[in-house]
Amino acid sequence: MQTVIDAHNVSKVYNADTIPVYAVNNVHLHLQKGEFTALVGPSGSGKTTLLNLIGGLDKPDSGHIIINGVDITTLSANELINFRLKNIGFVFQSFNLIPVLTAKENAEFILQLQKVHKQEREKRIEVLFKEIGLSDKLNERPSKLSGGQQQRVAVARALASRPQFVLADEPTANLDSGSASNLLDIMAQLNKEEGITFLFSTHDQRVIDRARRVITLVDGQIARDTAAVPVTHETIVSNEKP
Amino acid sequence: MIIRMAWRNIWRNKMRSVAIALSVAIGLFAGISVLALYKGMMKSRVRTVIDSETGHLQIHHPEFKKDYDPAYLLSDPQKWIGDIRSFNTIKAAAVRTVTQAMLSTPTGSTGVQVNGIIPEAENEVSLLKSKIHWGDGFTGRKKNEVLVGKKLADKMKLKPGSKLVLTCTDTASDLVSAAFRVTGIYQTENSPLDERNVYVNRNDLNEMLNMDNSFHEIVVLLNNDEDLALAKQQLQERFPSFLVESWKEISPETELMVNTMDYYMYIIIGIIMLALAFGIINTMLMAILERTREIGMMVALGMSRFRLFLLVLLETVLLTITGTPPGLIAAWLAANYYNKKGIDISSFAGDTMSSFGFSSMIYPEFPGAELFIVLMIVITTALVSCIFPAIRAGRLQPVEALRK
Repeated sequence: MQTVIDAHNVSKVYNADTIPVYAVNNVHLHLQKGEFTALVGPSGSGKTTLLNLIGGLDKPDSGHIIINGVDITTLSANELINFRLKNIGFVFQSFNLIPVLTAKENAEFILQLQKVHKQEREKRIEVLFKEIGLSDKLNERPSKLSGGQQQRVAVARALASRPQFVLADEPTANLDSGSASNLLDIMAQLNKEEGITFLFSTHDQRVIDRARRVITLVDGQIARDTAAVPVTHETIVSNEKP
Repeated sequence: MIIRMAWRNIWRNKMRSVAIALSVAIGLFAGISVLALYKGMMKSRVRTVIDSETGHLQIHHPEFKKDYDPAYLLSDPQKWIGDIRSFNTIKAAAVRTVTQAMLSTPTGSTGVQVNGIIPEAENEVSLLKSKIHWGDGFTGRKKNEVLVGKKLADKMKLKPGSKLVLTCTDTASDLVSAAFRVTGIYQTENSPLDERNVYVNRNDLNEMLNMDNSFHEIVVLLNNDEDLALAKQQLQERFPSFLVESWKEISPETELMVNTMDYYMYIIIGIIMLALAFGIINTMLMAILERTREIGMMVALGMSRFRLFLLVLLETVLLTITGTPPGLIAAWLAANYYNKKGIDISSFAGDTMSSFGFSSMIYPEFPGAELFIVLMIVITTALVSCIFPAIRAGRLQPVEALRK
């Protein structure tokens, strides 16, 4: 199997000069192509920080993150922007669509940044919107879409550029159960049929239930990394207890 | 896509965008109006200089203007006028006898320049007749008629029918004097000129100065202002041993004023634009602050800082351009309206204006030739104004911006 994400001894420290707080502490993480992985843990356990580090949105204080053979910790800010554009898809908790663009234009946004030809753009968008079931909402602005529909557009946007993997930070947090279930179905289907790698940070048991691998973070460290051991809501809550 | 985003972004907050577009329009209107007003004033001033004071060109004996010594004469006026009028650039020409004299009345005396003219010919080059507001002017019925300016008349308490004595030196440097009767009081737009100059019949002055048919000065009026350099060259080549001067050389202060006024106009526009720039900077900073999270997301997705800079720049330029046509149209309409109707400022600045040689009636002129420069200043203002907000946007760290 091809390793997509390879993190070695990754640490992120806040307040390093006063009272150091390790948001991520000496994490080792390897993700293979096609994995459907949930990063779970109590609030403040470092899920989002780890996701930001893997996504190249933040830089670790120590360690290396190698994505497809490229050590992204050595890249400059501009190189990182370019790297993200070509390799990583993002789905954020609060949808984060561009409000002045239509659903189609939002999904097209990255493709335009990548300078993909118009015909190819149209083709990809048509296929993706069919897959997410929003072919009839192509020209709607985000404000006219429900939360679930907006998040599906965000998934389409993340996948339009054909990234190496998709990082999804609490993608179902603001959705009702119907919308969340629908979104997960779409992502699971894309993972199964097209082999797209997903890494979620989540509290949501519905996501955890669908994940084939679950990594539990506690105090910035990986406390458990298994697909075999069932992870339940109780497991997470118990980790929050002192 | 970036242009579309920029255009839609500026209408996210309609009130704010309309306010800033209006500021641009008002700023542009104010700038162009100031320009039109100054241009109108300067054009009027130059016209006054040419039509009332100097003509386009003057010819003298090369030594005459050093001390205005009446001994430096030009002779045979008919031949001169015939030669000069043979050039097709020239509309009219008139000869003058000129001397410096002491004007005396029972109430006092003052120094004046006495211009000996042929009234009909003079009227062609300086429209003197049309400026006579009191009295009959030169009637030709009696000898020694004199026209005095309004300011001089007020100062010396002269009115039509008053007597005065002019004393000067003749061509042999002997002191001569003669009594004259005021037959007209003229008023130009230049009160210092009115105070300094009196007009008499050239035959009377020549007789007084013992000059026969000689004269000191030829005033030349052209068909077109643009022919000034050409006509000067033609006359200088035709009369190489005489002094040919254009109005710019005779009245260098007017030329200087016209040139420096251009700089003043641009300084005023610059100040207006500076105020506008702060408005634009404030608006764009607010727009960026409101969209911190969105900008962070775009950078996270892979939008380069250059494209982000371009987006902010385009938003600023589009916002500015939106306000430009209304400002331009309003300024054009106002300038054209007042160009025909005129703006009368005599009620609050009449004396002040005329003491500097300006008319109190201003006819603003739309600055078509300067429009490109004005638009460039507006665009530059927009571009400069967007730099700071664009840098602020470019410096946003996606991970921090996404937390907002």
